[in-house]
Amino acid sequence: MRVIDTLIDGLVLSRSTSTTHLLIGLREEPGPRGRALPSPSFPTGEIMRAPSPVLVGLAATAVLALSGCAGGSTSETAAATASAGAGSAAAGSAGTGCSGALGVMAPITGGAASIGVEQLNFAKLAVEDFNAKNGTSFTTVEGDTQLDAGQASTVAQQFVSNSKVIGVVGPAGSQEVESVGQPFADAKMSFVSPSATKTSLSEGKYPTFARVIPTDAVQGPTDAAFIADELGAKKVLIVEEKTSYGAGLSDAMETALQAKGVEVTRQQVSQKQPDYSSIVSLVSDDTQVVFVTFQIAANSKALANQLQQQGKSAVVFGSDGSFSGDFDVPGQYVSSFAPDITGIAAAKPVADAYQAKYTGDFGTFGPPTYVAAQAVMTAASKECTGQADRARTSANLLQVQLPDSILGGPIAFTPTGDVQNAKFYIFKIGDDRKPALVP
Amino acid sequence: MEQFAQQLVNGLTLGGVYALIALGYTLIYGVLQLLNFAHGEVYMVGAFLGYFVMTGLGGPAAPVVPVWLMIVLMFLVAMIGSGLLGVAVEQFAYRPLRNSARIAPLISALGVSLFLQNAVLLLFGSQVRSYDTPRYWPATGAPELAGVRISPVRILVVALALVLMLALVQLVNRSRFGRGMRAVAFDRDAALMMGIDVNKVVVLVFFVASALAGAAGVMVGLVFFNVYSYMGFLAGLKGFTAAVVGGIGSIPGAMLGGFLIGLVESFTTVYISSNFASVLSFLVLILVMLVKPRGLLGKAAIVKV
Repeated sequence: MRVIDTLIDGLVLSRSTSTTHLLIGLREEPGPRGRALPSPSFPTGEIMRAPSPVLVGLAATAVLALSGCAGGSTSETAAATASAGAGSAAAGSAGTGCSGALGVMAPITGGAASIGVEQLNFAKLAVEDFNAKNGTSFTTVEGDTQLDAGQASTVAQQFVSNSKVIGVVGPAGSQEVESVGQPFADAKMSFVSPSATKTSLSEGKYPTFARVIPTDAVQGPTDAAFIADELGAKKVLIVEEKTSYGAGLSDAMETALQAKGVEVTRQQVSQKQPDYSSIVSLVSDDTQVVFVTFQIAANSKALANQLQQQGKSAVVFGSDGSFSGDFDVPGQYVSSFAPDITGIAAAKPVADAYQAKYTGDFGTFGPPTYVAAQAVMTAASKECTGQADRARTSANLLQVQLPDSILGGPIAFTPTGDVQNAKFYIFKIGDDRKPALVP
Repeated sequence: MEQFAQQLVNGLTLGGVYALIALGYTLIYGVLQLLNFAHGEVYMVGAFLGYFVMTGLGGPAAPVVPVWLMIVLMFLVAMIGSGLLGVAVEQFAYRPLRNSARIAPLISALGVSLFLQNAVLLLFGSQVRSYDTPRYWPATGAPELAGVRISPVRILVVALALVLMLALVQLVNRSRFGRGMRAVAFDRDAALMMGIDVNKVVVLVFFVASALAGAAGVMVGLVFFNVYSYMGFLAGLKGFTAAVVGGIGSIPGAMLGGFLIGLVESFTTVYISSNFASVLSFLVLILVMLVKPRGLLGKAAIVKV
C-alpha cells in the first residue's frame, strides 16, 4: 500500500509547523510502528467503538430535526424572496389615473424556476404595456412560491397584509391555488392563475378565483383523443406525480383514455424521486405511451431517458407541466394550455418586446400570465381614478372581456371563473430538441 | 424472472450509491463519533462539480474530449473537490468543537448542511440540471443478461462503487494511514500519546469520506441524470439509514446496508407499490434497530461503568 501512502502524503499538507510529518508519518514516530493494533475486528474493516443506544436515539432525533430544518429553510427562502413590502416597480409613473400593486405569485426559484421567471417577466411586461396604453400607474410585487403550497400560503398572507396589493396574478400550480383560495376569498382579493388546470378549482369553492387557460377537463379528452386516435395506443401507463395537480389530471386522463377503449395502468411517484428505473421496468413491451403528470420538466426528461436506456419503445407524453425547454428528448410529446404565440399576429409586438427586453426564448407559460395581468388590471381600473380597490376589482373581474388577446382569441370568463372556449395544444419534440405544434 | 433481474440491477445501482454515502458516515463516526449531517450536501456538491466539468468540456451535445476522458475528469474533479470541501467543513465547523459536548458538533453539522444547501442555491440557482448521459453515452449495444438490458453506465457505476469500497477496505487495513485511523478510532488520547497526529488523521478521514460522497454524486448524475440543490437531503438520509442498518462504524456494514436499502427500494416499487419504497426502507431501519440495536454487523460495546 505504499502507493496509497504516497498519494495521501501528497494530498494532505501539514497545518502546524511543529508537525511537518503526516499522519502516516508514523514511520517517523516511535510507538505503534509495526505493532498490531488491539482490535480483533479491524481486518474486516471495523474501525470504531460500537455506538451507544443513546447515540442512536440522538441520531434519530437529529434526523427528525434535520427534516424540520430543511422544511424551515425553504420557508425562509420564500419569505425572503416574497418581498411583498418592497415591491418591484415594473413600470414608471406612466399615467396619473388608477394605481395599485399587482401581486405576482410564481415559482421564481425551485425546480420550476424556468417557467416561474418567464411568468414573472411577462407579468411585468403586461404592467408596462397597460400603464403605457391606459395612463395608469400599476406596479408589481413579487412572491416566490417555489411551486409549493406551503410557500404559496406564506406569500398569500403577505399580499393580503399589503394594502397596496389590489389583485394577484397566479399562483402557477393547482395545489397552490387550493392553499391560497380561502385567505384570498376572505380578503376579497381576486387572483387569476395563468397555469393552474385542476378542474375542481373553479367549482365555486374559491369565489375570487379565475384563470385564463382551459382545465384538465379539456386537457384529458384532448390528450386522450390524440393518444388513442393519432398515436393508435392501446395500452398506456400514467405516471402520476403525487401532487394535487398530478392526481386530478391523472383521474381525468384515465377516464378519457378508458372511454376511448385504451387499457390504462397507473403508478405514483414523488416530485423529488431521483430514480425512475424501477417505474420504467414496469413499462411492458406493448405499452406505447407513458403519460406523465409532472410539474418539473426535467423529471419528464429523466424518465424518457431511462426508458431509452432500458430499451423500451414507449414514448413519453408530458402534460402541460412538462412544457419547458428542460424536456427536450426528441420524439416525445407534450401538451400545453396555450399556443406558441410567435405565430399569432396580435401577439407579435408583445413577443418582440419580450425577446428584446429579456433576451431569450419563451414557452407557453408566459403569455397566459400576460393575459391574466391584463384581466386583473382591467378589472381594477374600471371606474377608478386613484388607488384601486380590492373588493371592486374582485367584483369586476368576471365581467372583463379582452376581445383580441395575445393567445389568439377573445378572453371572456364563465360565471365560475373559467375562460370560455379555451382549448389545449399538442406539441412534438423535434430533432432540434424544440417542441413543434402538431397540426 | 426478467422483472426480478431488472430490479436486481436497479437495486444494485441504487445500493452502490447509498453504500458510498453510508461509508462516509461510518468513517467519520468511527473516528470522531460525529454524525456528519452535512455529508448529503457534500454529495450534492460532488454531483454539481461533475456537471460543471461536463458542461465545461463542451456539454452533452459536443464534448471536446473523448467521452471516457470526460467521465474520468468528472469523477476526479468531483472527488477531489468534495474531499477538499469535507476537509474545510471539518476545519471550520467541527474542529473548534471537538472537545465540546456531543450535541454541539451535531448542531454544527445541521448548520453546515443548511449553509451548503443554500449556498449552492444562491450560487447556481434552483433549476434542475441534467447530466444528459444518453447524448454522449447511448445505451445502444448494451449487453443483455437474463433478458435484461444493462446499460454500460450502470455497469460502470456498480463496478466503480465496488472498486472504491475494496480500495477503502485495503486503505484501512493495510496502509499506515489506515493504521493511524484505527488507532485514533480505538483511543484518541492514547493515539496522541503514541505520537500520532490526530488532526491529520481526522483531515484524511474527512477527505476520503467526502471524496466517496463526491463519486456517489457523479454516479447519480450519470445514471439518474438530475442534479439540484436539495438532492443531498434525501440521499443523505438514505445513506445514514444504510450506515445505521449495517452498524454505524462498520465498513462492511455500510456496504451491506447500502445495497440492502437500494434493493428494498427497487423491489418494493415493482412488487408492492412505488408509494411504499421509502416507507419500507425506513421500516427496515426500525426492524433492524429492534432486533439488532447496533446494526446488522455492529459490535457490542464494552462500556466502563
